[in-house]
Amino acid sequence: MKKLIAMLLALVMVLGLCACSVETAPAATEAPKADAPAVDAPAADAPAAEAPAADAPVEISLWTFPVGKWGDEATVNELLAQFNAAYPNITVKVEYLAYGGDGDAKIDSAIEGGNAPDLVFEGPERLVTGWGARGVMVDLSDLWTDEVKADMIPAVEAACHDNAGAYYEFPVCMTAHCMAINKTVFEEAGAMQYIDEENHTWTTEGFINAVNAVYAHTGSTVGAVFCNGTGGDQGNRALISNLYSGSFTTADHSKWTTDSEEIAKALQLLVDLEGIEYDASINGGAEADLFAQGVLKMATCWNLSNYNQRAEVIGDSFEVLPMNFPTDDGKVELCGGIWGFGVFNNGDEAKIEAAKTFIKFMTEDNAINAVKASGFSSPRISATDVYADAENAELIKTYESFLINLGDYYNVMTGWTEARTLWAETLQAIATGTDAAQAAADFTASANALLG
Amino acid sequence: MANKKVTVSKTTRRLVIQENIAAYAFMLPFLVFFVGFVLYPMLMCVYTSFFDATMGNREDIFVGFGNYRELFQDPVFWKALWNTMIIVLVSVPVTCIFSLWVASAISKMHVAATSAFRCIFYLPVVTGSVAVTMVWKWMFNNYYGIFNYIGTSTGLMEKNINWLGDPKYALGCIILILLTTSVGQPIVLYVSALDNVDKSLVEAAEVDGATPVQAFWKIKWPQMMPTTLYILVITTINSFQCFALIQLLTSGGPNNSTMTIMYYIYHNAFKLYRYGYGNAMGVVLAIIIAILSAAQFKLGQEK
Repeated sequence: MKKLIAMLLALVMVLGLCACSVETAPAATEAPKADAPAVDAPAADAPAAEAPAADAPVEISLWTFPVGKWGDEATVNELLAQFNAAYPNITVKVEYLAYGGDGDAKIDSAIEGGNAPDLVFEGPERLVTGWGARGVMVDLSDLWTDEVKADMIPAVEAACHDNAGAYYEFPVCMTAHCMAINKTVFEEAGAMQYIDEENHTWTTEGFINAVNAVYAHTGSTVGAVFCNGTGGDQGNRALISNLYSGSFTTADHSKWTTDSEEIAKALQLLVDLEGIEYDASINGGAEADLFAQGVLKMATCWNLSNYNQRAEVIGDSFEVLPMNFPTDDGKVELCGGIWGFGVFNNGDEAKIEAAKTFIKFMTEDNAINAVKASGFSSPRISATDVYADAENAELIKTYESFLINLGDYYNVMTGWTEARTLWAETLQAIATGTDAAQAAADFTASANALLG
Repeated sequence: MANKKVTVSKTTRRLVIQENIAAYAFMLPFLVFFVGFVLYPMLMCVYTSFFDATMGNREDIFVGFGNYRELFQDPVFWKALWNTMIIVLVSVPVTCIFSLWVASAISKMHVAATSAFRCIFYLPVVTGSVAVTMVWKWMFNNYYGIFNYIGTSTGLMEKNINWLGDPKYALGCIILILLTTSVGQPIVLYVSALDNVDKSLVEAAEVDGATPVQAFWKIKWPQMMPTTLYILVITTINSFQCFALIQLLTSGGPNNSTMTIMYYIYHNAFKLYRYGYGNAMGVVLAIIIAILSAAQFKLGQEK
């Protein structure tokens, strides 16, 4: 009897396993249908594959990184409701990703497993030089009409395509990353005399004097050259390139130029300033947090979204003054952030078309809401009144005034991901005593080697 | 008589076969998972290590032992291996000795006190590693961490130390955190092993004039050897596979001073998309762990 029960139990377990495998079978057979629709796809799939009917129900997946409130479910649901009011046949399933490895790992695993999302919301460094260069994205050139190009900020357009002219991103929003200072402490330290408050600018000499004054007043670290990882490194790169008008790459992005005297001088200056600390224990996000808590007196990785996210923490404890980076020649070049949609090539024309429909809706019909959700600015030249009715319109205007100083978007360099990691390691090397010029030269050689 | 023997033999064989089938049927679901999620990935890891494999549509390129050759010429790999060995060499003996000491102390206490201490030491194990790590990160904070606060306010330190940002201290901090999360299970195991020691043997030894120290080393310790061996092996493996702490605290920095092989594998495979190179490192790590575990088993058996 016992044996009979044992056999029955075993049979149930085996059947259970079989049942599991049967259930997954349709999913496995669906993919080939989508891949080869023109040849022998079943009749039911044929219409969608040949010419998707405008109102045929389609489900697409959108994976979004937390760009402002594009990482907030309530906000995104609102945007989806607006989209579905216009396109009730397209269902969008959203997954929220995190920066700092987790989001990338999820997408990479999905790509390798053949389950990449249909749409992804991020920037050119991932969409163009990352997945685009690896041939897993759809060329969105058809969305980039002459009309669109004429209305797009040129630096943004340049960042959205590869050298062969294939567009792997359609931008939704952008920002120019700036600095911020704790104006309250700067005033107490008598350092505001070195700052052009009206134009939010300062010279390199003014920066040195201001840091020294604040350090003398507080006796603690004024600002940090954070280098725990790559997060927020646009801040330290902009600071270093602007101080003595150095550049990170050639204008055509064919070579890294960080072995210049200007870059070495800037790196060394930051070593020499007592109020500045090369800090390998924090990244850009942690720096912004420390600034908001009043621990650091300046932040080098700042923008309107950063301010909004930390406004409650800052409260009335001090006044934040957004600043351009200090320069020796008055010509500021800020690093930009450009975020938009990319479409993964999953081989299903109906889904690709639906994804493009979603992009068009979010960048034309519903563009203002899509930009507002990000908390950043529109990349369209014509979009000058996105936040006209906002409560803090003046503040937004201040941050938007930095856009004119947007510099070259060199994040599209070949091997960008690896180069960023090398850059963080370079700063860590300087933090641990390596000669700044030598570290910069080593970085340049290694980064140029990535170009092939 | 002969016919009866044949009948019995056939029946026995049939029963054995039936039992075997039943046993394998019970094992089948787990075998499927074992093959699918352990054996197959292991074989694929070895296979992929011979290729220049990356993400995307590009075909993998066969490079033979190219990844392994590159590995042994990679200074960061050697640094990672060195750091990993330091972590293992410090944390494994310290974990074992500390656990044994704590277990010896608390096993003599009242049952309630023993249970309470077991819970306290086991808490970091059951608490999520991310939560534990974030608390430590706060305590080590360069600007407002409690260690710096205590150090500077008591005059022990002249100025704040960047615990996680200074290569002099970063690896030590990682090892310290690893110890707090590693000792829980060994303590519980040792307490249990001490309870299972044959009391009559200890009493007999004491009657024969053995001191407590002699009773411990001559009677208790040999009986706890299987537990010790298990603890040594799992602590060694856990130390080799230290990843979450590095990922959350230092990302291998500063200047690769906390880079471990596990983190370097992740860095190559999932940040640089060098799957083949990452797999080659995984194979080397597996071989090292296997050799060390085998040595530990061998030493344990000899004892």
